[in-house]
Amino acid sequence: MTRTDTILSLRDLSRDFGGKLAVKNVTLDIREGELFTIVGPSGSGKSTLIRMLAGLEIPSSGDILLRGKRINDVPANRRPTSMVFQSLALFNHMTVGDNIEFALTVRGEDRQKKRARARELMELVRLPADYYAKSVTRCSGGERQRVALARALASDPDILFFDEPLSAIDYRLRKILEMEMKDLNRETGKTFVYITHSLEEAMVMSDRIAVMRDGEIVQLGEPLSIYNAPASRFVAEFMGQVNLLGVEKDGHGMVLKDLTIPLGAGIAATEGTWLMLRPERLRVLPENGRADVTFDAVCFNSYLLGSRTHLHAKMDDRTFISELDAGMPPPEPGQRIRLGFDWSDAVAIHE
Amino acid sequence: MQRSQRWWTVWTVCVLVLLYIPLVSVILASLANTRYLRFPHRIWTIEPYREALGLSQTYDLQMTSLKIALCVAVVSVLIAIPGALAFARYDWRGRKFYQRFLLLPVFFPQSVLGLAALVSLSAMGFDLSWRTAVFTHAVWIVPIVTLIVSIQVYGLDRAQEEAAFDLGASRLQTFFRVTFPQILPGLSSGALFAFLLSWSNLPLSAYTTGVDTTLPEWLYSRMSTNFAPMVPAVAVLSILASIVFVLVWQAGRVVVNGVMERRKQLE
Repeated sequence: MTRTDTILSLRDLSRDFGGKLAVKNVTLDIREGELFTIVGPSGSGKSTLIRMLAGLEIPSSGDILLRGKRINDVPANRRPTSMVFQSLALFNHMTVGDNIEFALTVRGEDRQKKRARARELMELVRLPADYYAKSVTRCSGGERQRVALARALASDPDILFFDEPLSAIDYRLRKILEMEMKDLNRETGKTFVYITHSLEEAMVMSDRIAVMRDGEIVQLGEPLSIYNAPASRFVAEFMGQVNLLGVEKDGHGMVLKDLTIPLGAGIAATEGTWLMLRPERLRVLPENGRADVTFDAVCFNSYLLGSRTHLHAKMDDRTFISELDAGMPPPEPGQRIRLGFDWSDAVAIHE
Repeated sequence: MQRSQRWWTVWTVCVLVLLYIPLVSVILASLANTRYLRFPHRIWTIEPYREALGLSQTYDLQMTSLKIALCVAVVSVLIAIPGALAFARYDWRGRKFYQRFLLLPVFFPQSVLGLAALVSLSAMGFDLSWRTAVFTHAVWIVPIVTLIVSIQVYGLDRAQEEAAFDLGASRLQTFFRVTFPQILPGLSSGALFAFLLSWSNLPLSAYTTGVDTTLPEWLYSRMSTNFAPMVPAVAVLSILASIVFVLVWQAGRVVVNGVMERRKQLE
């Protein structure tokens, strides 16, 4: 399927909270059927943005267009969209079945039809059929997640919004649910708009990602393009676990700050540019190892991350993160090591 | 650990004894055939109870008190629902003011409040009866019930109402399908509280019942002027009545919950 038709357009959308702009002139197009993620730290305005899209918050200015029709003033209960809330907001006094059927109940659908739809949805989100009469308060975290998903899908909405629904779930289960979310997006063909503060989570499932900061979108693109070429230092740091090396001018030309190593040819840098180096690109060199740039540092500590091992090394006050090659024994804390990287692995960030 | 636990037990027993001494005294007073309250009794008897139960007046007193208490419970809850939502849920101009002054009637000495109600109600031309007592009780009890319900409203996840609205429910459907069922436990406690506070109220009733007499009013007048062991016996019966009421109420809740559960299981 080609995902080119725009389903939801945001035009210069802003939200003013008593003089403070939570969302500033956001303009973007969300495509039919894609899994679009808006990612940003807390306070970046992402929640306000999605609440405006769902109809729970009124924009101060700008327009929201659903398939070309302006829906600014359409309240949430009249929009063909559903939201999965951060707290999930399951109705605790109801059973799993009643929760899932809620959208149909308030519409006055008959019992047979509701049950059939609930069955179908429970199968889709992989809930056992005998959970139908179970109270939602007796469901586990993952099950509650599935109930919330099924409930949001019941009315067959055009768009599903997700406001960080996985943030309270433990790591292992979250990883599973992230993948299921992507699968569900493919299976249903619906447009998903997802909010998270975790770029890692966004990477796993998204077709496209918008990075938000202080109410503005600072980068928009496919996961890999954001991963490989962060547009700004903010985005690079937000991804976490990267080395950022400052560049400064000295008598001879541009050099790496602190290391006072002249920049290699082919790297376009001016004062204020940062070089981003992923941990896997900054290697601990063996005795006779070679790299374009090498320097000495002291091993601070090493951290086993499942299949990988990260090493923090210090040079003066600077900390570098390096990923050890598979099978390489980590150096002892305090041990002197030699780090190195190639110019071709460094990404220049100009903002 | 052992030692401190023993002290806790002693302390708890002391508190309980202190709380129940008056109650026990009343029971003791009702078990003698004397015209004066004194102890120990020379003759123990349950004759006062026979007398109290035979008195048709006590039946009327109980009915008046019951009528007032039930009305107050219903009225308080009906007023407390919007009151609690305004207190704990919605942001509006004047909310802070409302939160601070809601409890003012409770701080008023009840005898003053009763007198004020008496004066204003008669000035407005109302005949004083159990109905005016309902109104006056409500003035004092509604703030308390509002507070009890507010605590429940604070515990409600606002996102649930938003979720209902987002799923297509109207404001009214949202209230009846999501908000109301979730604050029901608070409403139930509030109603029970209102009932018991009204049932045992003396100062407000004394001023405002007019031609009617409630149980506490009658008890007070008979205790102070025309004492007989039958009077504490009526008091004990009244306490028993409220205990029975609480038990029935709780049992009702258990039964309703059980039925709801069964209904869900069967579906």
